[in-house]
Amino acid sequence: MSKAWAVFKREYLEVVRKKSFIIMTLIFPFLMGGMMFVPALLAVRGIEGKRVVVVDGTGRLSEAFAEKQGAQPFEGSPFPDLGEGKTKGKSTSQVARTLELKTEYVAASGDPRATAQPYLDRLKAERGSGERRLDGVLVVPPDAFANPDAKMTYYSRAASDFITQERLGGIVNRAISRGRLAGRGIEPAEADRLLKRVELEGVRVSKSGEEKKGGEMSFLIGFLFVALLIFPNLIYGQEVMRGIVQEKSERIVEILISSMPSLQLLGGKVLGLAAVGLTQIAAWMVMGGLMAAYTGGAAMMAGINVFQYFNLGVIPWFFVFFVLAYLTNVCIYAVAGSVSNSEKEAQQFMGPIMMIVFIPWILAFPILQNPESSLATVLSLIPVFTPVTMFMRVLVAEPPIWQLTLSIVLSVATVYVFSWITAKIFRVGILSYGKRPSPAELWRWLKVA
Amino acid sequence: MEGDVVLTVRDVTKTFGPVRAVDELSFAVRRGTIAGLLGRNGAGKTTTLRMINGIFLPDSGTIELFGTSDAATTRDRVGYLPEERGLYRKMRVLEQLLFLAAIKGRRPADVRPSAERWLKRFELWDKRAGKLEELSKGNQQKVQLIGALLHDPAVVILDEPTSGLDPVNVVLVRTILKELKAEGRTILLSTHMMAEAEKLVDEIVLIHQGKAVLAGELDDVRASFGKNTVHLTFDGDGQFLAGLAGVAQARIETNVAELHLHAGADPQGVLAAAVARLRVTRFEVASPSLEEIFIDRVGAGAESGGRVAAGEAAS
Repeated sequence: MSKAWAVFKREYLEVVRKKSFIIMTLIFPFLMGGMMFVPALLAVRGIEGKRVVVVDGTGRLSEAFAEKQGAQPFEGSPFPDLGEGKTKGKSTSQVARTLELKTEYVAASGDPRATAQPYLDRLKAERGSGERRLDGVLVVPPDAFANPDAKMTYYSRAASDFITQERLGGIVNRAISRGRLAGRGIEPAEADRLLKRVELEGVRVSKSGEEKKGGEMSFLIGFLFVALLIFPNLIYGQEVMRGIVQEKSERIVEILISSMPSLQLLGGKVLGLAAVGLTQIAAWMVMGGLMAAYTGGAAMMAGINVFQYFNLGVIPWFFVFFVLAYLTNVCIYAVAGSVSNSEKEAQQFMGPIMMIVFIPWILAFPILQNPESSLATVLSLIPVFTPVTMFMRVLVAEPPIWQLTLSIVLSVATVYVFSWITAKIFRVGILSYGKRPSPAELWRWLKVA
Repeated sequence: MEGDVVLTVRDVTKTFGPVRAVDELSFAVRRGTIAGLLGRNGAGKTTTLRMINGIFLPDSGTIELFGTSDAATTRDRVGYLPEERGLYRKMRVLEQLLFLAAIKGRRPADVRPSAERWLKRFELWDKRAGKLEELSKGNQQKVQLIGALLHDPAVVILDEPTSGLDPVNVVLVRTILKELKAEGRTILLSTHMMAEAEKLVDEIVLIHQGKAVLAGELDDVRASFGKNTVHLTFDGDGQFLAGLAGVAQARIETNVAELHLHAGADPQGVLAAAVARLRVTRFEVASPSLEEIFIDRVGAGAESGGRVAAGEAAS
């Protein structure tokens, strides 16, 4: 066993000492965070500085645009919670502030379309034609208050600018609703109360009686964890494959094979790289924890309980399923590596392997959304897919104990059978320079080695 | 003279597809000797050594080390230097050596002092913290050799140990191998450099197309080729020597000639003819050199079963 330990240590140290490993470990959380938040932030930030002219045929909306400018959370926001912070009057959230929209109010006396025409011309005009460029023109018809079928029109150069569109629609609709209610003799304050949206909060019920908030946040966290489970497998699975090919091409393998049983060699190698993956994830978790402590602290101060969205009890499961998923996948990579003569040749196996690894990822959406469906149940009990899918289910629901147990037993059995076969094929494949072993030869090795 | 046998190869055959790399090969190596596995490129030397190391399994036949054919129980007592460099390019020299000893079951702390000794002896001490890929080919070969010896093996198997080494290092390796032999270790090495083997080995196994064509103690093997070979060193053009009376076979190179005489021919006559036309600096009547025997037995055009050697019968 000390030999396997020597291999374990060598593999572990070799990767952990690499600069690329250290850099990756340090910057990945930021990359990941960036990948998740930057597009959303940009989508919102794009509104900043947008100039829209509101041509009001009714002439009664000036108040709405004078008062409400930028102050209102709007529907369809990717950050409803953050918008809410605003109404509480506490620290103005960074994101909410960027939602500000510069509107120019024009009351149209006659046909609003005619009044709008010069603005529409400005909208079409190229930049640099003297006046500040317009981003959109909203035309409200004169009969908006009276006619329930009335339609507003929003003109813009970018048809995809739905956030601005939604927001303007929200402001106008709210004002019109208030106006209509006022027409029935209801006071504006009363109208506001009547129009108040009722918030919907998702709560996850568990057997232990704990209540957790569900909804998009736990969905996002689910995705994050599944990514954490899958991507190290891909990276280090490939590392195992590359390592084997390299040992083959550099002939070290002769020394290794003549010194130790192939199962120990493979075991040391695979577990060494699994330890690398776990080290990296642990580092990320610590970094994530620190960040969460920082932002979570801020969130707590704002009255949001982060732990409502995340169950710490999931972490041990994460490690269990990480190791199982890792071992299953790596065996596949090891076989690919040991029957290939060059890295190029090994790359050909990548496509099919990626397919297997990515199937749970592709199905993550339906599984996370519906963890008790028969798709999720069946997939979580098929050996190769078990670890990742079962982990998804554990993350968002509480699968029956017998299924959990069965999935772990199945995974362990799979890993055992896989590594036995892998060690044999590894033993033969690794030495067959330039020539694939014949099935008869393979069978002989399976019996003997 | 019959020491105890450490390694026995018996009727071993190994085929790769249609190629019979090793064909019913048998030989034995006694404890405390240096045995040379000789043969041309592709003769089956490396395949044989790999089988002895348990890297390949023979298709048929048995290989016994220390009296057992279970490689798992003996591998820690064997040191192996493969033909091609087999080291991690990116690993540091000393660390790599300790790793090689560790996979032979030795604790790194225990072998560190001897690793340091070896590195100093091979003039690699300054490079101990460098990566292997930063070393020259010869230095890499030296690291590999230390790796084969560091765990203190009783049997050392070396596939072309001196390839890539400069003459100074070749002498150093030769000295070390003789020391290992003096310590009671058994050495099996393969080479196609006959002059090198001649200076080093006690016993030879000459293989050709996977078969042993000649085996036995070097002296016996040479003696079996008779004492009527003239070794000449001279100044001048020696091409005419091949045509002298009594010369059956001649190999003439610049300033050196090896002349195999017909039975009963007088070496003195050859000497007289040579002195007449050349400045002779050395003249010796002895057995043919290993190189001569090698070329005779396995060289181009050599037919199997040329001359019958005593060594063959002895094996």
